[in-house]
Amino acid sequence: MTSTTHATSLAADSQRRPPFWRNTTLIKWTVQVAVLFTVLAAFWFLITQARSNLSARGIPVGYDWFDDPANFQLGEGIQTVDSPERRLTMSRALWVGMANTFRVAIAGIIFATIIGVIVGVSRLSKNYVARRASSVYVEMLRNVPILVQIILWLAILGSIGALTPDTGPIKGWVIVSQKGISIPRVFLADGFYQFLSLFLLLSVGIWFVRRRLVARQERLGGNQHVGSITTALVVAALVVSWFANAPMAFLRGVFASLESAWGSIPQVVVQVGLAALAVGVGALRVRAFLQSRRTPAGLAKLTDDDWFRLLFIALVAIVAAFIVLRVWPGLSSWLINSGRDFFGVLSDKFGDGRGTRPLDAMRPTLSTGRFVNYGTTGLTMTVFYASLFFGLVFYTSAFIAEVVRGGILAVPTGQGEAAAALGLSRGQALRKVILPQAFRVIMPPLGNQYLNLTKNTSLGIAVGFSEIVQVGQTVYNKNSQTLAVFSIYMMFFLACSLTISSIVNYINRRLAIVER
Amino acid sequence: MSIADQSLTTELASRNDVIVCRGVKKWFGDFQALRGVDLTVKDREVLVVLGPSGSGKSTLIRCINRLEAHQEGSIVVDGVELTNDLRNIEKIRSEVGMVFQQFNLFPHLTVLDNITLAPVWVRKKPKADALAKAMELLERVGIPEQAAKFPGQLSGGQQQRVAIARALAMEPKIMLFDEPTSALDPEMIKEVLDVMKELANSGMTMIVVTHEMGFAREVADRLVFMESGEIVEVGTPDQFFSAPREERTKKFLSQIL
Amino acid sequence: MSTRNTPVRWVRENLFSSVGNSAQTVVFSLIILGLLRWLLGQAFAEESNWESVATNLRLLMAYNYPTGQFVRIWVSAGALFFAVGLSFATWNVRPMIGFRRLLTTLVGFGCFALICGLVTPGTTPSVVRTSMFAIGGVLVVGGLAAGRLVPRAGERNVGFGRLLVAVSGLAMAVVWLVPFGKHSFIDGAIAVERGVTIASSTKMPWTVLFAVLVSTFFAGRAIAVRIRKQLKIALIAWWVVGPAFVLFLVLRDPAFDWSRIWSVDVPIAAAFALGGGAVLYVLARPGREDLARVVGALLVGFALLHWVAGFAGWYGMLQKVRISFVLLAIAVLLVPTFAGERRARLRLSGGWIGLMVVLHWLITAINTPSTLVISAPPFIGGLVLTITIAYYVMLASFPLGVLLSLARTSKLPIFRVLSTGFVEVVRGVPLITVLFFFSIMLPLFLPRGMGISDLAAVFTGYTLFSAAYMAENLRGGLQSVRRGQFDASDALGLTTVQRTVFITLPQALRVAIPNLVGQAIATFKETSLIAIVGGFDILRIANSTIPNQPDFLGQKRPALLFVALVYFVFTYSMSKSAQSLEKKLEAGRVR
Ligand SMILES: Nc1ncnc2c1ncn2[C@@H]1O[C@H](COP(=O)(O)OP(=O)(O)OP(=O)(O)O)[C@@H](O)[C@H]1O
Ligand SMILES: [Mg+2]
Repeated sequence: MTSTTHATSLAADSQRRPPFWRNTTLIKWTVQVAVLFTVLAAFWFLITQARSNLSARGIPVGYDWFDDPANFQLGEGIQTVDSPERRLTMSRALWVGMANTFRVAIAGIIFATIIGVIVGVSRLSKNYVARRASSVYVEMLRNVPILVQIILWLAILGSIGALTPDTGPIKGWVIVSQKGISIPRVFLADGFYQFLSLFLLLSVGIWFVRRRLVARQERLGGNQHVGSITTALVVAALVVSWFANAPMAFLRGVFASLESAWGSIPQVVVQVGLAALAVGVGALRVRAFLQSRRTPAGLAKLTDDDWFRLLFIALVAIVAAFIVLRVWPGLSSWLINSGRDFFGVLSDKFGDGRGTRPLDAMRPTLSTGRFVNYGTTGLTMTVFYASLFFGLVFYTSAFIAEVVRGGILAVPTGQGEAAAALGLSRGQALRKVILPQAFRVIMPPLGNQYLNLTKNTSLGIAVGFSEIVQVGQTVYNKNSQTLAVFSIYMMFFLACSLTISSIVNYINRRLAIVER
Repeated sequence: MSIADQSLTTELASRNDVIVCRGVKKWFGDFQALRGVDLTVKDREVLVVLGPSGSGKSTLIRCINRLEAHQEGSIVVDGVELTNDLRNIEKIRSEVGMVFQQFNLFPHLTVLDNITLAPVWVRKKPKADALAKAMELLERVGIPEQAAKFPGQLSGGQQQRVAIARALAMEPKIMLFDEPTSALDPEMIKEVLDVMKELANSGMTMIVVTHEMGFAREVADRLVFMESGEIVEVGTPDQFFSAPREERTKKFLSQIL
Repeated sequence: MSTRNTPVRWVRENLFSSVGNSAQTVVFSLIILGLLRWLLGQAFAEESNWESVATNLRLLMAYNYPTGQFVRIWVSAGALFFAVGLSFATWNVRPMIGFRRLLTTLVGFGCFALICGLVTPGTTPSVVRTSMFAIGGVLVVGGLAAGRLVPRAGERNVGFGRLLVAVSGLAMAVVWLVPFGKHSFIDGAIAVERGVTIASSTKMPWTVLFAVLVSTFFAGRAIAVRIRKQLKIALIAWWVVGPAFVLFLVLRDPAFDWSRIWSVDVPIAAAFALGGGAVLYVLARPGREDLARVVGALLVGFALLHWVAGFAGWYGMLQKVRISFVLLAIAVLLVPTFAGERRARLRLSGGWIGLMVVLHWLITAINTPSTLVISAPPFIGGLVLTITIAYYVMLASFPLGVLLSLARTSKLPIFRVLSTGFVEVVRGVPLITVLFFFSIMLPLFLPRGMGISDLAAVFTGYTLFSAAYMAENLRGGLQSVRRGQFDASDALGLTTVQRTVFITLPQALRVAIPNLVGQAIATFKETSLIAIVGGFDILRIANSTIPNQPDFLGQKRPALLFVALVYFVFTYSMSKSAQSLEKKLEAGRVR
């Protein structure tokens, strides 16, 4: 200890705190909080500005207009006009728009995938013509903006032929004209929900039976006919629930009582519950954080950074609770109302002297007024739908083809050779070795393409297809509720993105496990 | 501590302390990598740190130039205590040079730019002076002809020598080496070790983490053996290799020699 | 030599090697021929008169730009061609194109033209069909003959200079020899004049342009040998600000009010340039870092105060003064990291003065009313608008994207959360809603008395949208930078800003370049969406202006196909050059 006297004066046991303006931890957090504050202040400022600008024009900002009558017609969809038995309110019109978006998006995703996979695989074909043809397809379609393609499709389809009472090609069954295509339609009839609930119920039973069967298969070995017995049971369940679904009518009462029960929840309870949820989640995160710092020898020393982090979590939780309790009680009442409405709608789908037939079908008809038009009975693909649909499908399929090609190329050639060396046949090798691996590469970018397709449905506005953005525009042109409509756009598309990406993530995880 | 103090030669004891660590503790999340390290390094001393993988050698020397922040205890480098004081950190960084196992040269800059970057922008030297100094250093490490090349065009040994030159260009008082030869092919190890020996002979204070026992025997003033975040034994090379005191040191040496 | 690929052998091996293969050949051939015939049918349908395109070329390219002032467009194009030629030379763009590959491409094109001629439906005008056969025949015969006659064709390469000359010559020949566009187009109305074609009125300017391109290329190649570095810096500066100057000074022709400029604008600009330059020079002295930080912090507060005051309406102030103060605050904050000896300080001040001069001049030009007499308000439209918007959106979103991606990969949790939130929300919604939002809501967000033009609002929204994607693309690059690089720069004592500017960003950008080029292509394509939010871009003109002209009532298909073709040519060549760039980068990485 002779020589360390000079240093001991400096080497105190605890770290000396520097002055605050040179304290890096403090600087870091001050800057962050300042930026956060600036961003929030800017937001707050912009919103108030917009509010005052709007109210200067006599436009209150909010969602009170949901139940106003729409006063306009929609081009197409599950409901297009206002009628005494079914009001077309503003919010209803937006629903119809969303449904139209889904119609295009889902159909588009299916067809784009089919075409994309075919083209992508043929780009790797041994055949020169197939390879060339598909690469021309890809290059041609992906290098022209989708909006140009959609508008071009409208121009092309618009030049087909006018709709007359005898337009074919199969009069009365399939009708193609510049107004679109109409074919016979299968639709959900009155008994559908009873059918569905009974079938789900039976399926649960079948699932249990199948588990027993699988267990027996594993115990006894040999062929215990698991697959065929399950199939037979499912068919039987389908038949039973198709014809004998009347007993399920009792669900009407169940849902009705749920409706009234939900509606009678006091708002305070929901508010307090939500606040407790926020605080609880915050507390859990704090606990998890502390847990991660816990060592066998007790809690590890927390750095300044850790303290700030804990403080921040706590602050966010408290602010969230405060918002729920004081600032935005509307959220709670909205939760109550929509829950009640949800059960109300469900209870309307059951019993009360409805038919029990789940599905029904009708042939297309034409309405002949001053102009000939498609009637409501057939499954009609309007020319607007068609041009948007074709544009989306072909454009996206070109990208999907590239994704598929890349995925297959990403599987090392050694994999196929190894599979062959193990004695797998070519088909087996493809199914068990190559495709699963390619799939893992393909899945994320494929999900991205699905997302792009869904977002691109918004281009329907260019051809007058009544999807959500177009309907929303009509709405805010009528009542100037731009802020509210844009918030709905945002929530809708974010929900779509989240859904698609969580599905993709789920599949990816499953595949990763399968691989291991 | 008393062991270390006794083994110091009187000559060494009369020098100043440039690095003083007292009870340094460091956690990564819930894992404690340093469990109270006490260490003193004298001016112009060459200290070699030994120890099995994961024993906290890298963590210790990374704490000494604050690439990692320690949580308890104190580290004083050249009279400056390492805290989250902006000025202290700036000062330490420019006085302590470091050489990494993976060289960590900047791949998008030429050798010369690698060396002159910090002198120009941190030390605010005129570009011409920095260039002259860089060429001088390249001469010293024996690769002046590679000045205009990119790191990717050099061999591992050459890259590590550039890394040493880059650290020296800041004219540091202390150099830290974290396994500088572990990523090198055997025939390149010697050229790097020669540079380090020359540096040690010129009176640089050095802490070297290495598994090169020949180097340790020849150059080190003292050896430090670490295990699971603690200093187990400190001693001169002779005493360390011929008569290790601790059981764990013996075991380690028997495995490695 | 007998085992050489003969055509017959090739066909047997590649097209009819097995039953499945033959079936594929037949099926795909039928599909392709059918589609080709259908497409040609669309292009040459009865009512589709390509004259609507030929006549309206000027409209499609530059919209309503006054005919009398058209020379401004040619001058701008000249500046562009000049810079392109010089850039090719400076960056030594020299793709080695094999002579044989070129011939194969030409013969392939010829075969394609012949097939088109064969399958095109009966409605096609006979001139078109004949020229398809003629072009196809010439290409095939010429290509094959050249392959035979030129010795050692397989080993030869065609230099880029020669290719440039050949393409320019071909374009010249078309303009001079083919008299397309029977009408001339004057101020929004079609004037039928005998003998005057679009081709005849534009052949001189085009000739000059191509001459400029070719000569700057060769001249640039000669001088680049000596001053390549300076040339590069000058060209980068030109590419960043040059187009804006062309746009707002040449094309827009502002009516400068010189007395105001001398009494107001020049003094302000001079004050900021010289005063700021002096402040920077003084503060950049090594050892004054703390002082610079304090002054910087004070300036940030001072600059923000002016904005708050502006929005709250406390006192008025020229917008450019507010902007300049913000820039000055940022510059002073950056001083400690870029301080140095005298030359570095001079460079710092010089850069600042240059920035101020350019900025103030541009702001003045933008705020000065235009002298052009234009029937529809936007002074640019057509393809010019598309290219301008796409270019500047990419340029403006770049710094934003860099900041966002840095925030997103930083260790500071609040920055990360903010940036992630912004990027993910923006990427989750379609571009069109963002554009609508900005064109409708931005005016509402501004306080009364502050206005913004439609196009500027759309541009703002598009830039923010693009910045989110830019951030995402850059994030990959940033994540690819090794941890050791951070360790090394920290150990050398570089500050966070220095580390980011000198080490992290250069490495990240190099990795992100292919993605960024992909984004540039996407941005260019998506610029077509401004047609929906009110811009008169090439698509809007083709879709709604031309079909409403009395001569071409309801004719949409040719114009739309033409637009598709224009986009195709641009994006296809962009993606092809991106591919070769990627290959080059990959080869570079091995180094
Ligand atoms: N950034 C980090 N996060 C979490 N744990 C870490 C981190 N860095 C090091 N560790 C852990 O701390 C312990 C000490 O690591 P360190 O790198 O100091 O060991 P070492 O003695 O240098 O080993 P080696 O000889 O392998 O380099 C190891 O168990 C390691 O897993
Ligand atoms: Mg280590």
